[in-house]
Amino acid sequence: MHDIYDFVSGPMVWVSLIIFAAGCIYRFISMALLAKEKDPFLYNYMSPYHALRSIFHWLTPFGSENMRKNPVFTIVAFSFHICVVIAPLFLFAHIILIKQSWNVSWWFISDTMADIMTLIVIASCVFFLIRRIVRPEVKFLTSASDYIILAMVAAPFITGFWTYHQFAGCRIMGIIHILSGEILLAAIPFTRLSHMIFFPISRGYIGSEFGAIRHAKDW
Amino acid sequence: MAESVKNAAAEITDAGIVGGAAKLTPEKIEKVINNVLKAEGGARLKTYVDICAHCGLCSEACHFYLSHDNDPKFSPAGKVKQTVWEIIKKKGRVDVEFIKRASEIASTECNLCRRCVMYCPFGIDIAYLLLTVRRICHKLGITPQYIQDTAHSHSATANQMWVKEDEWIDSLMWQEDEARAEIPDLRIPLEKEGADIFYSVIGPEPKFRAQLIYQAAVIMHVAGMNWTMPATPGWDNSDMCMFTGDFEMMARLKKIHFESAARLKVKKIVMGECGHAFRSVHDVGNRALSWKMPPIPVIHAIEFYYELIRDGKIKIAKKFDKPVTFHDPCNTVRGRGLHEMGRYVANATCETLIEMHPNREHNYCCGAGGGVINCGPPYKMSRIDGDKIKAEQLAAVKAKGAQTIIAPCHNCHGGLEDLIHHHKLDMNIKFLGDIIYETMEKPE
Amino acid sequence: MRKKTWVLCSVIVLSIIFLFVTAYSQDNIKYVQDPAFTKRMRPAAVFNHDEHNENASIDDCSTCHHFYKDKVKVENETSEDMKCSECHKIDKDPVPLINKYHLRCKGCHEQEKAGPLMCSECHVK
Repeated sequence: MHDIYDFVSGPMVWVSLIIFAAGCIYRFISMALLAKEKDPFLYNYMSPYHALRSIFHWLTPFGSENMRKNPVFTIVAFSFHICVVIAPLFLFAHIILIKQSWNVSWWFISDTMADIMTLIVIASCVFFLIRRIVRPEVKFLTSASDYIILAMVAAPFITGFWTYHQFAGCRIMGIIHILSGEILLAAIPFTRLSHMIFFPISRGYIGSEFGAIRHAKDW
Repeated sequence: MAESVKNAAAEITDAGIVGGAAKLTPEKIEKVINNVLKAEGGARLKTYVDICAHCGLCSEACHFYLSHDNDPKFSPAGKVKQTVWEIIKKKGRVDVEFIKRASEIASTECNLCRRCVMYCPFGIDIAYLLLTVRRICHKLGITPQYIQDTAHSHSATANQMWVKEDEWIDSLMWQEDEARAEIPDLRIPLEKEGADIFYSVIGPEPKFRAQLIYQAAVIMHVAGMNWTMPATPGWDNSDMCMFTGDFEMMARLKKIHFESAARLKVKKIVMGECGHAFRSVHDVGNRALSWKMPPIPVIHAIEFYYELIRDGKIKIAKKFDKPVTFHDPCNTVRGRGLHEMGRYVANATCETLIEMHPNREHNYCCGAGGGVINCGPPYKMSRIDGDKIKAEQLAAVKAKGAQTIIAPCHNCHGGLEDLIHHHKLDMNIKFLGDIIYETMEKPE
Repeated sequence: MRKKTWVLCSVIVLSIIFLFVTAYSQDNIKYVQDPAFTKRMRPAAVFNHDEHNENASIDDCSTCHHFYKDKVKVENETSEDMKCSECHKIDKDPVPLINKYHLRCKGCHEQEKAGPLMCSECHVK
């Protein structure tokens, strides 16, 4: 157990962090270079004001027509994204582990709060799963990878919840929790989850096109 | 999916697609696709395909989807799935049946109206993705025949309607003659170097709707504009090549157009009430010529009329008394945000303006744009069936009392006319120019 | 009836004695609990003092109960009669003291490759 724990909480953390960080930088730079080579006009058309205007509208709940048309989805999507980032970053247990390893720490949320956020993430994933199966227009677009990605996102939260509440087999779950978190982190730059990196750019670019050239809203 | 593609492809009768497909081999398809993807499919294509979360939120934006009772095959991302995703997944190794169907989806089941772009949380330009499919189909030579014919006309005559040079000049002189019966000193100044305004129209104006040139001449004359039209090719600002994916020809057309204006040393180009031509001149074609923005300022008729009325150059004698509604063409609203100016003109010239819903940037497409109406009779019914939602929108505004639809775009006129006729809506459609001409103060 | 009362009384007396013994006996620590922590995020860590030290063969009290003066560890001096938080003070943020406890326990377990490591192994619910 010691060796497994040491491995997943030691070198594996580094491996996943490096894949995540280097992956993000690589994806970003390679895309920027490809754009420079193939679509150099993208740089000319980027308009910071209109890009930020568009990003702001789409990061505001109910800030776009489509969000108002799908209120349930909007609420779930926003709570999901807020929780999926806040809960792990500001979880007390994570803060302690990081303090122990790197002697840095920051603000943390209460465990009750973390519990609620974790349940929100899990419930959102269930919602996304059901929506994917039930709604024909989503089902039509769905491939196996969509389910795999959804499972990858849900896994660290389910196992984390399990471990925290010390349900049966929580030691093994703890190990799986750490591993699944690392897998998720490493997968971000190379899957559809890369929208984390590219959202501001794709949104900003279309905001620039709509705003600066076409003088129209895009929300 | 393969089976349904085969069935759908088997039903295709369009001579352009069927004839083109007969000359294709899987090897050629693979080669052409990969050439296009490699040479032109840059960061945008890759990012858009990479990040799409398959969420389906674009669906409700599409009139084809809504009109087909939410059939996922007609959702924007659904159309991308049936074309771009498949092509990329198979690295271009798709068969002839697949590419026939892809051509039909991209050219006749999407108006490139960009409404879905406003509904995608990531701002994925779905219209660009389907235009890329049209580009591939163009290079494979399987573009639907009717629109390909207009593209041929463009390349042979630099206008969309096979109008010969002398026919163009003749049409202008004919309209000048007609108008002089009403206003004796009116001129349509041809080739006037140093004029302020270069007025350009689309091919169908001299061909089918010459009275629009008459009306524009009257408006120009009454407003006291210093304007001109060229007597050479370059008078036509329209651009079906932009919609077939023939970008080389698109660039040539825009070059001829801009150069005609430059030759006449005009201050700006004013365009007639056409949507797609404006998209080409203001947004897309200029880029193909490496101009970030058009080299000569380009103003759509909506904005031009707005300025004339705002500045008191045109005065309204008696407002149009029947209730009107305003249809925002995709290319002037999502293409240039001219919705408020359009309403300004409508309110200045009409007594009652009743809004249709949705409106402005969120208006439903007429179903004709993006070259879909130009795909001609083989696709007329699929186009009308694909925009049932627009007919419902029009019926709702008609129920509120609107009798006349103002649509400042040629394609919209074509599309709305077919919808009105098919659904027996009994409404009439006018250009802003029609209304201004009818209601303005004219010299006695 | 008489018998019942007698049993009850003995149980109460025994319980009181047991409580006193456990509360005052330094040798029978079961949990690590520092009063400096006003708000508890986790159940107190399970720690059987004698059993642990016997298993881990720790004889030198200063292994844990060290005493520092001017940032130098004073040899042969121990601090059993002090709370950790008397030196490792909490200044609003409890994280540094929590960290000291974790380093003391988990740090050693990691080094020695023995003893619990995961949260739930010490902070048992």
